[in-house]
Amino acid sequence: MNGWILAAGIVLGGGGAAALWGVTTGPPARRVIAQNLTTSAVCPALLLFAQGYGRPAYVDLALLLALLGPVGTLVFARLLSGEPERERTSAWGLTWAAAALGAAVVVALCVAGGPGRAMVKLLAIGVLLIGGNLIASRALAGGFQGVRGG
Amino acid sequence: MGGGDVYDAVIVVALLLVAASATAAVVQRDPARQALVLSFSGVVLATLFTVLQAPDVGLSQLAVGSALTPLLIMLSVRKIRRRGRSKEDTR
Amino acid sequence: MNRLRLWLLALGGAGLAALLVAACLDLPGFGGRRHPYGDRAVHASLARHTANTIASVNFDQRAYDTLGEMSILFAAVLGCAVLLRQARDEHRARPRPAEVARPVRRYALLALPVALVTGLYVIAHGQLSPGGGFQGGVVAATALHLLYLGADYSALERVRPLGVHEISDAVAVCAYVVLGLASVLAGTAFLANTLLPYGTFNTLSSGGSVPLLNAAVGMEVASAVVVLLAHFIDQAVEIEEEHRS
Repeated sequence: MNGWILAAGIVLGGGGAAALWGVTTGPPARRVIAQNLTTSAVCPALLLFAQGYGRPAYVDLALLLALLGPVGTLVFARLLSGEPERERTSAWGLTWAAAALGAAVVVALCVAGGPGRAMVKLLAIGVLLIGGNLIASRALAGGFQGVRGG
Repeated sequence: MGGGDVYDAVIVVALLLVAASATAAVVQRDPARQALVLSFSGVVLATLFTVLQAPDVGLSQLAVGSALTPLLIMLSVRKIRRRGRSKEDTR
Repeated sequence: MNRLRLWLLALGGAGLAALLVAACLDLPGFGGRRHPYGDRAVHASLARHTANTIASVNFDQRAYDTLGEMSILFAAVLGCAVLLRQARDEHRARPRPAEVARPVRRYALLALPVALVTGLYVIAHGQLSPGGGFQGGVVAATALHLLYLGADYSALERVRPLGVHEISDAVAVCAYVVLGLASVLAGTAFLANTLLPYGTFNTLSSGGSVPLLNAAVGMEVASAVVVLLAHFIDQAVEIEEEHRS
């Protein structure tokens, strides 16, 4: 029994199902928030998979997702901002919960891996993930108010 | 290795998420909402490739699907909407 | 006539289905550790000191395929550039400068260099770990567009000379072909990985010509994506149709 894979499966299944529900139903504002939370749910799962399969190279996937996931959310935040029906909403409770999940996974992997270059990379991914998640939430809660037509 | 079933279980989870999200993306009518579901679908597809031990393909999917495809779709949507608006203005 | 066509379709479909079923019956078991093709590919990649077998398949054993894929991307972007050019009855209107919340702007400016470096890292480590020219090129090109997302389009236009990217796109495709021709001149086959020393296994300079081909693909993909997005953003933000009365 590989506990890391099990944990990754639970994070992927639970977070993925919740994000899928959010992204397919409800008003547009809620869907974008769910899209943002996808990154924070799947990225820890990818880190846990890398540990579970014993393949440090798989960490690159989590690195790319932590970098590009928030960029994708910024795309939606910016290009949906001109829509008349889009009201600004925020879900700070969920955002902080997702950030806590990312931090918990990164800390657990750092403890398991011990100090070294891998740990620096893990910490960088954690910073990118949590920072990107918070900034994307901030952008959704009215980061592009002055953008009209651009 | 013992407990090989957990390896298969995560493949099933990822497959189900991909199937559900891809169907949902087709069912949506509004292109902007489709782009949202598509970006979700791209991320879980990359995860499916990872659990099938194909990280190279997963990386390609992640690079293209998480930011580039939504940007291209949303820019096209914006262009079409703007065109519709300017036609209404001249009328 | 219609009936004949349907019969032809049914015949072709049945033949395809039979072949697919036959192929599926001969597949190795799901998740098995041995595969005849996989074993040979791993053996060939280890013989050439390439740690990432996928990179060895893409840029060494089947480098010719990658040349084809590269030309497809090149042609597709060329087609988009022609279709999306500014037509005679269109004019450019400068978009109003955007006001972006300060934390978002700061994040974009901080994440840009990080994403750029990550893209280069993915390209440079293509022969060692998952990744390579395509993935890294897309990341590097996406990084530049953080300027559009975090500031506005004119900020991006200032740091992105489009002509340079168009030229580097073409130069990168040529570089790939030239690397292939170099091995012909050296007396072996087109794109054969025999020109350079294979280096020490699992270091940056291993794999012979694989890192060089990776770099060419990375440069091509990054420039192609920048050119493609430039035309899309031009159309979405700047180019407007003339109002006909």
